[in-house]
Amino acid sequence: MMLTIRQRTIIAAISQAVLICIICAFVYLSFRTIISKLRTIEIIDDLNIAVLEMRKAEKNYFLYKDAGAIAELIVLGQEELQGIQEEKSYISSNLGQKTYNDLETKIKQYVEMANFIKGNPKVAPDLESRFRDLGHQLTTLFALLLKQERKNVNHIIMLGVVTLIVVLGLLLLFQLVLWRYFSRLIIQELATMEPLIAKVSEGRFHEVAVAPITPHNEIGIAIKAISDMARELEKREGQLLQSEKLASLGVLISGVVHELGNPLNNISLMAQTYLSLYDMLGDEEKKNFMGDILNQSERIRKIMHNLLDFSRQKKQELEEHDPGKLVDTSLSLVINHMKLANVELHKTIAPDLPRLYVDAPQIEQVLINLYVNAIQAMPEGGDLYVEVDRDPDRDAVIIRVRDTGHGIPQDILPNIFDPFFSTKGTKGTGLGLSVSYGIIRQHDGEITVESQEGQGTTFTIRLPCRGKQEGETDGQRNHRD
Amino acid sequence: MAKEIIVIDDEKIVCNMCQKVLEAEGYQVETFTDSVQALDRIREKRFDVVVTDLKMEKVSGMDILREVNERYPDTKVIMLTAYATLDAAIEAIREKIFDFFPKPVKIEDLKRSIKKALQS
Repeated sequence: MMLTIRQRTIIAAISQAVLICIICAFVYLSFRTIISKLRTIEIIDDLNIAVLEMRKAEKNYFLYKDAGAIAELIVLGQEELQGIQEEKSYISSNLGQKTYNDLETKIKQYVEMANFIKGNPKVAPDLESRFRDLGHQLTTLFALLLKQERKNVNHIIMLGVVTLIVVLGLLLLFQLVLWRYFSRLIIQELATMEPLIAKVSEGRFHEVAVAPITPHNEIGIAIKAISDMARELEKREGQLLQSEKLASLGVLISGVVHELGNPLNNISLMAQTYLSLYDMLGDEEKKNFMGDILNQSERIRKIMHNLLDFSRQKKQELEEHDPGKLVDTSLSLVINHMKLANVELHKTIAPDLPRLYVDAPQIEQVLINLYVNAIQAMPEGGDLYVEVDRDPDRDAVIIRVRDTGHGIPQDILPNIFDPFFSTKGTKGTGLGLSVSYGIIRQHDGEITVESQEGQGTTFTIRLPCRGKQEGETDGQRNHRD
Repeated sequence: MAKEIIVIDDEKIVCNMCQKVLEAEGYQVETFTDSVQALDRIREKRFDVVVTDLKMEKVSGMDILREVNERYPDTKVIMLTAYATLDAAIEAIREKIFDFFPKPVKIEDLKRSIKKALQS
């Protein structure tokens, strides 16, 4: 049965209270026994003193021939008998019925004998030794009882102390066990939340959202809340992606209109000029006009081709590749260009890098795009740093492309991955980085940019290490969008 | 004396074609594909008509328009644009513009507009 934390706390509190009550009862009983024993000792002590008085009178009578002493002895004896009878129940319950009977019989005998001696003073010498012997027996009996009771009290006190220590120890142990049980249970359950929260923070909402959860206590409810939140976030993320798609479609269309508008205008202008100035144009000029028109048509074709590249639902050809080799292959294609542009290459490839499961031509295309951008950012020449390393935080490979060029202004930095966003004027289509971004995203990776105007730009690509995944036996993966 | 016209557009072909057509009409034409250089030229010399593209790198058509209006209140500015948004048109009208042509531009319209600009 799974209990809630509240129920567990209540049970723990009740069991603790019961334990404390038991200890209190035990201490109370111990004290009662001790008090009762002390009272017995008091009674016996009183009786003992009375017996000693009797013995003194006995001595006076026999040794000093004090005739009045025997009467005194009888009074004392009767008082003693009365005293013992008054405390009969107490004595018999504490010392046993037999001891009581013994005491009573002996005192009775003593008093009877004293009465007899008083009535027949002449026979006294015959009885003297028997009488004194009985007196002696009484003295010894009381002394023995007193000693025994004192021993008993000591024993009870010792036993009480020991038991108290043991019980306190048990209580402590119980507390410890309880605390361990509680902390383990609660911490264990809290620990189950940790990976869930980590997944949410990494944006892996789906894994959290699909986990089946039946809450059985407060922590279970908290876990369920996290799972619900992840589900909601997943839904919202989907909506956001959809609206982003629509927004980028808008950007795309306005980009297309603008990009195609210019060459179209050029062709139109040339055709109009050609027609209106036809008679004034020489043969060479007419040829130039037609050549320019062809160039402009080519420009339109190129834009359309890039656009197609951008939107085509291409299939990825995923295979295992060495990240260092990907970088080398891509660099070999631009190395001459780099030399001409007076750009010096600094390449660092970490050893023993994990292999990547990627579409090599696509990744190479991204890298080449970054190199070309970097070279164009350094018209006066400069340094190009290409670094390949393992991501210390994640199971991923990092490829960093850094230039010492003019940098990108902070205000346009957020737009550089937008389709048709270009800083190169008529030289660029504004699709390079946008296409690169799409390719890296399709590999479940990420591409980020940092730039400082006048100091240079760094592009960082993070590609996750993963093997061939289930359902991809043909080494292909469909683009998701 | 021939009327002087400056044409500014980062498309070289636009500049070339305008130059050919307008020179054939008897105007004196200067063209610039770099709007920064064009702005410098405007600062040192007054033109009768300025024909400029709206969307250009560094210095935009609106910047040229403002500069011209400030320096030479009677110089007319004609704006060309690849895609005319309502916002751009409204802003241009506020800044006192003579004419506004969406691309592709009809050369006859442009010629007529320039003629009108020079007459008024």
